[in-house]
Amino acid sequence: MKVIRCFWPLFVAVGLIYLFGNAWGTIPPMGKLLSPFQGYLQNAETAVPSGKMELAVGGLKEAVTIWYDDNAVPHVFAQNDEDLYFAQGYVVARDRLWQMEFYTLVAAGRLTEIVGDAALAFDRNNRRMGMARSAATIAEKLKTDTLSSKIATAYAAGVNAYIDQLRYRSLPIEYKLLNYAPEHWSPEKTILMLMNMRNTLNGGSNDDRLTNVLATYGPNVIADLFPDYPGVESPVIPVGTPWAFTPLTTPSVPDTTWTVPGGDQRMAMEIATPRPEVGSNNWAVHGSRTATGLPLLANDPHLQLTLPSIWYQMQLSAPGVNVYGVALPGTPAIIIGFTKDIAWGVTNVGSDVMDFYRIRFRDSTRREYWHDDSWKPVVFHTETFIIKGGAMVRDTVLYTHHGPVVNQGSEASIGNIPAGYAMRWITNETDGSDMLTFHYLNRAKDYDDYRQALTYFVAPAQHFIFSSNGNDIAITSNGRLPLKWKGQGKYLLDGTLASHDWQGWIPASQNPTVKNPSAGFLSSANQFPTDTTYPYYLDWKFAHSSRALRINERLAAMNGANADSLRRLQNDNFNVDARRILPKLIPVLASIDSIRELSEFTVLSKWNYRNDAKEIGASIFEYWIPELRRAMWDDEFPMDGRMLYPSLDRTFSLIENDPTASWFDNSHTTSSIESMTDIAAQSFMAALCKLREQFGPLSSNDWAWANVKHTRIMHLVPAFTSFGRTGIQTGGGGEVINATTATHGPSWRMVVQLDRDWPTAYGLYPGGQSGNPGSPFYDNMIDRWASGKLDTLLFIKDLQSIPGRMMYQISLKPNPR
Amino acid sequence: MIGLYLLILVIGAVASYIGPWWAIAPVCFILCWWKGKTAVAAYWISATGGVSIWLVYALYLHAVAEVDLSNRVAGIFLAGLGADGIPGIIPLTFLAVLIIGLVSGFSGLAGIRARSFINRPQQGTG
Repeated sequence: MKVIRCFWPLFVAVGLIYLFGNAWGTIPPMGKLLSPFQGYLQNAETAVPSGKMELAVGGLKEAVTIWYDDNAVPHVFAQNDEDLYFAQGYVVARDRLWQMEFYTLVAAGRLTEIVGDAALAFDRNNRRMGMARSAATIAEKLKTDTLSSKIATAYAAGVNAYIDQLRYRSLPIEYKLLNYAPEHWSPEKTILMLMNMRNTLNGGSNDDRLTNVLATYGPNVIADLFPDYPGVESPVIPVGTPWAFTPLTTPSVPDTTWTVPGGDQRMAMEIATPRPEVGSNNWAVHGSRTATGLPLLANDPHLQLTLPSIWYQMQLSAPGVNVYGVALPGTPAIIIGFTKDIAWGVTNVGSDVMDFYRIRFRDSTRREYWHDDSWKPVVFHTETFIIKGGAMVRDTVLYTHHGPVVNQGSEASIGNIPAGYAMRWITNETDGSDMLTFHYLNRAKDYDDYRQALTYFVAPAQHFIFSSNGNDIAITSNGRLPLKWKGQGKYLLDGTLASHDWQGWIPASQNPTVKNPSAGFLSSANQFPTDTTYPYYLDWKFAHSSRALRINERLAAMNGANADSLRRLQNDNFNVDARRILPKLIPVLASIDSIRELSEFTVLSKWNYRNDAKEIGASIFEYWIPELRRAMWDDEFPMDGRMLYPSLDRTFSLIENDPTASWFDNSHTTSSIESMTDIAAQSFMAALCKLREQFGPLSSNDWAWANVKHTRIMHLVPAFTSFGRTGIQTGGGGEVINATTATHGPSWRMVVQLDRDWPTAYGLYPGGQSGNPGSPFYDNMIDRWASGKLDTLLFIKDLQSIPGRMMYQISLKPNPR
Repeated sequence: MIGLYLLILVIGAVASYIGPWWAIAPVCFILCWWKGKTAVAAYWISATGGVSIWLVYALYLHAVAEVDLSNRVAGIFLAGLGADGIPGIIPLTFLAVLIIGLVSGFSGLAGIRARSFINRPQQGTG
């Protein structure tokens, strides 16, 4: 008894320390987290640093000087390339460590380790797509590529030098909240980071949906409603550009071009549709059209808007290289930027590089599959998931020569024999050389250097736009593009036929490219790369052409352009779709008395076609068009039935040219036949209903487009809502140049004016340099971004000419140990 | 009494700065073993010491911060609880001092009680 009486307080004290020192479910260790000495308050940054700091780090060869400017952008001056990448890894980790590791956990299908089994289905999908396995293989192969390996290894060493300095109190706050610690970085993690980006840009497919359409309606309807080229288009390579090569013989179209997924043979796995809001704009204006006589270049990649931001601004300088731009956290080099002589930017090509093959297994053991008249062995690969708390789950993924069987088990069968769909995806065929493209672009001086740098790039194919102070502009749809027969991969393919395999690759030198076109400008906005004269098949569908049309019509009217002309073009809110279709639809609505008398109709009919923040007409139009498409197509091509609506272009062309088409009739109503007028009126009223329900009666404030659209920039962890920013007042829209939607938009805007002596550049992204929500540089650029402004970028010549905008300096010194 | 409080304050602050979040616990345990008079006093002086250290340092860090991180962190835990108007530092600091008050208080009490196990002869029936 005495022991209990004397020691119970000790047991209680130890129990309390245990209780508050450990996580319970999703509740982090509250004692650690709330301790002002260790916890979250250590992440609340006090005064912005000033002066000079010196740090000794192991792994450096020579000293590196890093200046941080007044926007917290680091300017890194190293004395050799390896130290430069080391320092890049160090400074990026210093600001973005949690974020860069998070991306790799997503790509590797390891989120269960930090959030528990709620992420298991998501992780399993990502593992079945093969990214983790491919990254491991690529990292192994990378060792034989001397330069890529050196770059990735030096970068990893820099990240690790930073990680090794960390203690619990200095960890990024997300580690404290989710209660885990960073792992050491490695080249494999850099590869995973790139995998994540490839998945974002190329990780979707409509193949199964379109196959369902074909199976239901047949080839004539496909040819009519899902054509291989849109009615209105303005391709990336200007129409009429000659192809300066002799093409390879295009593979002939086989007798069977698809596989029937009837009944229970449908693909069960949810493959995401390509994300229309992920896209980008870039353009270059030749000196003949600019005020200075030298080229201007602009780029704004549209991605999900997140905090921390996807991009990180920096300048990298060493003998032979001096470059400014944005990097992806976790990836060496500058991805979009400029040097003294050149500027470049990227937009996604979005060609079809993901196909699905129906696999016929020999028996229920699934050890062999039929292909090209023989049985071939299946490779079994076990994926292990570690669930937070220590439990393990295993999943066996089957691999064929096409790629992983993404959809297997009892989900599909052919007769009594299990079937599955294997996926061939360019992402699983990359090799790590992509880094070299950026390494060389960072050092490029002219057009020839640009073309040489592009030869290393594999995926995801990008429109690399280019300008130089030698007065060249160019654009290349660049990446490894599969050689296909026309239409190959438009539908699910038959995995037993050799003719359905990819037929090789389009030679890199024959990728669409053009230099110094007569029009004096070039642009891309994810539309068709070429017109129909290009000898190879790339895809049947690309992004809707509205942004491209508007960019090209404005550039064509631009003479004596300056950087501000391009900034204004990036913020252009003109809605080309409204201009195209409202003159047809407004009279249709006006013919109905009950609609004509509505004030909402009056607003729409007087709208100036601009998706500006205050416009109410934009709100009505943007709510109406999806309703119109649903009213027109969901009876025949239901989304729930895993079908696909015909494109916006085809929808508009039917309204314009074929208003009596039977497609306007709602097949669900047997007693009446709906006309185009009925569909327009019904969908218009449905849109108004939704607006009234969500925003009350028509009002200039509540119905203003910015309030209806409700742009928000949220933290990468969805549950951390208070780390995000909501209610951002900005115009734009998915189909206008300023492609700011609710959750996606221009993730970096850059304009570069080249000069014989020294370029002037402007840029901004919707976030901040720091990934720390306790830093004044976490979200400091958002308001300037929302108002369409750009910052003047500080591109420093050398350490002898450091301007006054600097906050502080860090000197990294080699640690002699 | 004041002497014990001041000792906990000074040594506890130094230990908390260099040690883990519960570093105040052994400090309270040892100091109360050494200087504690009564169990009640040991508990409350230790608890007050722990609370003082955390409260002052937390409010200092909050005051000098450029950004109100407490609001953002509180938002994660209090989302949907209707606490929107309350500055985040208040609930978080309340919870923090509650935790450290309990930990340091029981540690101090543990010190004086453990001492009694060794120093005092066994009495009666217990």
